[in-house]
Amino acid sequence: MAKRILIVDDSASVRQVAGMALTRAGYEVVEAVDGQDGLAKLSGKLHLIISDVNMPRLDGIGFLKAIKANPSYKFTPVIMLTTEAGEDMKNQGRSAGAKAWIIKPFQPQILLDAVAKLVLA
Amino acid sequence: MMPTDSVFVAALPILAKQIENARQQSEDAILALSTRFRGLVTRLDGAMAASEKGSGDGGRDLGNAMADGRTQLLTVIDALMAIRDSRAALITEIRSLNAFTAELADMGKEVEMIAFKTNMLALNAAIEAAHASGDVGRGFAVVANEVRQLSVASRTTGKCIVAKIEVITTALNSIVGANEQAVLKEAAAVKASETRIGNVLASFGGMTEKLLASAQEFRGEGEEIKNEVMESMVQLQFQDRVGQILSHVVERIADLGARGAASGGEAADERDGAADQYLADMAESYTTEEQRRIHLGGPAAEVAPQAAEFF
Repeated sequence: MAKRILIVDDSASVRQVAGMALTRAGYEVVEAVDGQDGLAKLSGKLHLIISDVNMPRLDGIGFLKAIKANPSYKFTPVIMLTTEAGEDMKNQGRSAGAKAWIIKPFQPQILLDAVAKLVLA
Repeated sequence: MMPTDSVFVAALPILAKQIENARQQSEDAILALSTRFRGLVTRLDGAMAASEKGSGDGGRDLGNAMADGRTQLLTVIDALMAIRDSRAALITEIRSLNAFTAELADMGKEVEMIAFKTNMLALNAAIEAAHASGDVGRGFAVVANEVRQLSVASRTTGKCIVAKIEVITTALNSIVGANEQAVLKEAAAVKASETRIGNVLASFGGMTEKLLASAQEFRGEGEEIKNEVMESMVQLQFQDRVGQILSHVVERIADLGARGAASGGEAADERDGAADQYLADMAESYTTEEQRRIHLGGPAAEVAPQAAEFF
């Protein structure tokens, strides 16, 4: 059975690139357009979550904190996929419980390697 | 508050809308392009899978079909050769019958010879009967005449037997001759069939190899095109960065416009450090490294993909 991954990003083109790479690698992908939509899409078993940081309505850090406060998903690994490269923002992500930080633009293989590593962990 | 005037206040919101419109158009176009690229990759995947299936798991199915066809055609050749061999065996049998007919012909001639000798014996008996007198001589003459008639009949029968055997021998020789011709023709036909089948198989083998090579080349080209398209999709991620930068510019312009409007387009905030504070706030709100570099007066260095950082 395919492992389910939630992608939360307000950029449709990024969702497409990431979604296509993951789908071709055999994962089942659920998409959300921002943090608030991401929370609404939390249902069933999720093996991993990929989230942008800068998004309207609810940003990635707020979304990450909400996930970690949810007993059903607090142990689901989260990868932050963002244009943010500053150490302050990375520290916020690390403190909130992110497992990895990938800066856009990203190579799909780098994302797939990170996903494979965290899904198996 | 930054220095401002009424033109500034009136123009800024319009400029902000123009930039936002350009950003939105760019995002829509990039999304449409990305969607088309994704469709292309999906179709290429389908075409390559169909090609893989058509040539049968890297050509193994096609190769097996060729080998199977070769085996079946060689079975046909074997069957033709078996027919040829059975005809040769028939000829051998007929030749052995010929030997018997020769024996029968000799026996027929023997019968004829015995009849001839019996006739001679009957003639002598008739002569001796003529020398005898009275009833004994007449009776002897009747017997001698009957024996002579029998010998004549036997000789006629012997001749008939010899004649019939000659007819049979001629017919058998004719059959043997016809069969020998047929065997020669069949051997030539089998040989020609073998050659033709070999040529057809070689031709199909060559076509199969070309087909497989072509399919493999198609898949190789398809894979390269697919990778190119996927790489192009990766490049389209610039839109996300551009969108964020433009959104930030729009927000800041809107903010400046609002500030100007609040001051009636005339007042100027010239408190010590107000501009520095505003720029510091602006720097805090950046989301990309190139924004920060440009803010500090540096170049917007190229943004290259980086490795993942694990926590």
